[in-house]
Amino acid sequence: MNKILLIIQREYFSRVKKKSFIVMTFLTPLLIAGVYAIIGYFTYKGIKDTHDTVAVVSTNKTLTEKLQTDKNIEYAYIDKSLDEAKKSIGKADYDYILYLPEFTLDAPKGVELFGTKQAGMSLNRRISGDIEELIKTQKLKESGISQSDLDKLKTVVDISTKKIAETGAEEESSAGASTFIAFTAGILMFMFIMLYGIQVMRGVIEEKTSRIIEVMISSVKPFQLMMGKIIGIALVGLTQFMLWIVLTLAISTAAVSFLVNKNDVKEMAAAQAESQVTTASPQMAAATAQAGPIGDIQKSLAGLDVGKIVSVFIFFFLGGYLFYSALYAAIGSAVDSETETQQFMMPVMMPLLLGYALSLSVVANDPYGSTAFWLSMIPFTSPIAMVVRIPYGVPTWELALSMAILVLGFLGTVWVAGRIYRVGILMYGKKTTFKEMFKWFTYKN
Amino acid sequence: MLSVKNIVKQYATHRALDDVSLEVERGKIFGLLGPNGAGKTSLIRIITQITAPDSGEVFFNGERLNTKHISQIGYLPEERGLYKKMEIGEQVLYLSKLKGLDSAEATKRIRYWFEKLEMKDWWNKKVEDLSKGMQQKVQFVATVLHQPELIILDEPFSGFDPVNADIIKNEILELNRNGATFIFSTHRMESVEELCDNIALINKSHKILDGTVDEIKASYRSNTYWVEYEGNYHATNNDIYQVLQTENVKANTLVKLQLKENRTANEALSLLLPHVNIHRLDEVIPTMNDIFIEKVKGQIHE
Repeated sequence: MNKILLIIQREYFSRVKKKSFIVMTFLTPLLIAGVYAIIGYFTYKGIKDTHDTVAVVSTNKTLTEKLQTDKNIEYAYIDKSLDEAKKSIGKADYDYILYLPEFTLDAPKGVELFGTKQAGMSLNRRISGDIEELIKTQKLKESGISQSDLDKLKTVVDISTKKIAETGAEEESSAGASTFIAFTAGILMFMFIMLYGIQVMRGVIEEKTSRIIEVMISSVKPFQLMMGKIIGIALVGLTQFMLWIVLTLAISTAAVSFLVNKNDVKEMAAAQAESQVTTASPQMAAATAQAGPIGDIQKSLAGLDVGKIVSVFIFFFLGGYLFYSALYAAIGSAVDSETETQQFMMPVMMPLLLGYALSLSVVANDPYGSTAFWLSMIPFTSPIAMVVRIPYGVPTWELALSMAILVLGFLGTVWVAGRIYRVGILMYGKKTTFKEMFKWFTYKN
Repeated sequence: MLSVKNIVKQYATHRALDDVSLEVERGKIFGLLGPNGAGKTSLIRIITQITAPDSGEVFFNGERLNTKHISQIGYLPEERGLYKKMEIGEQVLYLSKLKGLDSAEATKRIRYWFEKLEMKDWWNKKVEDLSKGMQQKVQFVATVLHQPELIILDEPFSGFDPVNADIIKNEILELNRNGATFIFSTHRMESVEELCDNIALINKSHKILDGTVDEIKASYRSNTYWVEYEGNYHATNNDIYQVLQTENVKANTLVKLQLKENRTANEALSLLLPHVNIHRLDEVIPTMNDIFIEKVKGQIHE
């Protein structure tokens, strides 16, 4: 037992002390936060900064209302023919020409947009939206409904989803936040199992190729060496996971308090107040849409049992990791170099990939369906499927059963892997086949 | 101190060891000889408890071999290896802790050995930065650090330059004087003659010869002598000896004589003395190398 501890220590510290571990641990959350910050910044900047001037040439007599100019787009009605406007487009101070021909309100056809540059998707959508709005206003006006009547018609309905727990208590929940957490957890689980499983395999290959293995197993049992390595690397994984949680929380708290400064909060509050009384302008809609998920997540994070989700995640990470890393250790023991691992990696990777793909599609869409149930029971896929299901709520008996099966599963793979490992690590120079591995498995000692 | 009794080890298609028995006496240096693939490594792996025999038993100090004995055995495998990225001092410390030493004691001994083998400044070096010979030294230290009663060395001198090989040889002899028992597995017969008290020869999974080096050599004596003399005399066969070979070396003549049964070298000399001036008489004693080759080849022809 003491020897296993020594091995765990070495495996743990030799990895944690590595520069690459420290760099990765601190950089990854920064990178993730950074990427999101950059995306957010440019999206925001894009919305804020675009300013296009569109000259409107209208031969339309039915449209008496005019297109409304705002911060991002300026509509200038000009008294020129289309051809004249086209000729002067290079010199004049407008970028685009919008041509509104004569059409009936029910079938608006022939609208054209000319420009010296190709109009982007968002501008296109923006203008067509504005025209639709314009036609709508025109129609309403013709039917004798005033703008104020229209505003009165507008009501906002916010559905708050509540889940009735087994205890009968109602829990605040949000499909959005659950999906977000389910996806994050699923992706993390997949990444962790793969990354650390492969580290186990590399470690075994390293010991084999550097030939230290024979010295080692004249001191310790192969099984001790294998388990020491697996557990040591599991602790590295947990350390990294914990650090990431702490760092991500710290960074996102800092980022939120930095980005959402006082002015923004005021603006946002004003925008929200405004949007309730006036017609929501597109940017405001965008602003509320942005505020939406954040508020949503904050609200339902309170509803979700974060402690439970994190502890289930850790349990299934450990279980799934033990399950797979034992197989990776067996592969490592059977080959002489990393290039030979391909043929054995496939059958191990397949169920993991399948579990990942199905969990993020089928299970996330229907977390209570039978596919979800079976995927979260089979130990090959349960670590990913279960963490995807857990934010939506899983009956306790299913969770317990899945955990029990996973424990049995990893005891099984560890046992099988141990038997292959003890023979494999001493085999050199032979191309190993599955048949051979089975033979090793059946060796007496 | 170590007795191996009727060991059989079967791998899928071939039998690596077939009914092999041998005795290693305390305080001796025991040579385990045999061509490649004879089963030496399989036997060592059984003694070091890396694998278990299919049948047969091994006794260590009269006790059946068990995990308790791991800390009393030191093993230097033929294929040397260390963790490439680990620092030397830390590495040796780790290996000796796995053998049951505590940190403080192990550190003290590592310092002693590093001093002794002129590797004081190596503590913080990484294995990958050392030459092969330096790595061998580190590995030798790791093998003997826990003061094992039995030290098993597989080809201990491969990879050493003559100077370092000599240093290691002297360390081995010193450890041996202090009571350590050695098992040498090697093909290098000159080191066998120099160091070993006893040997066992294994070929094709069977032990084909064992005993003390002196006895074995004695049993391979063939009553053959080289005689070097001065004088114009042509030695011919007679009822005392048979002439196997005649050579001229400068002004002298060199003849190889094989004595007939129950004849002595004195009788041969008295025949020659009247005719020539004797310079030298040497008995032709087979080297371990000759014996090794003869035995192994003999088996191939069987």
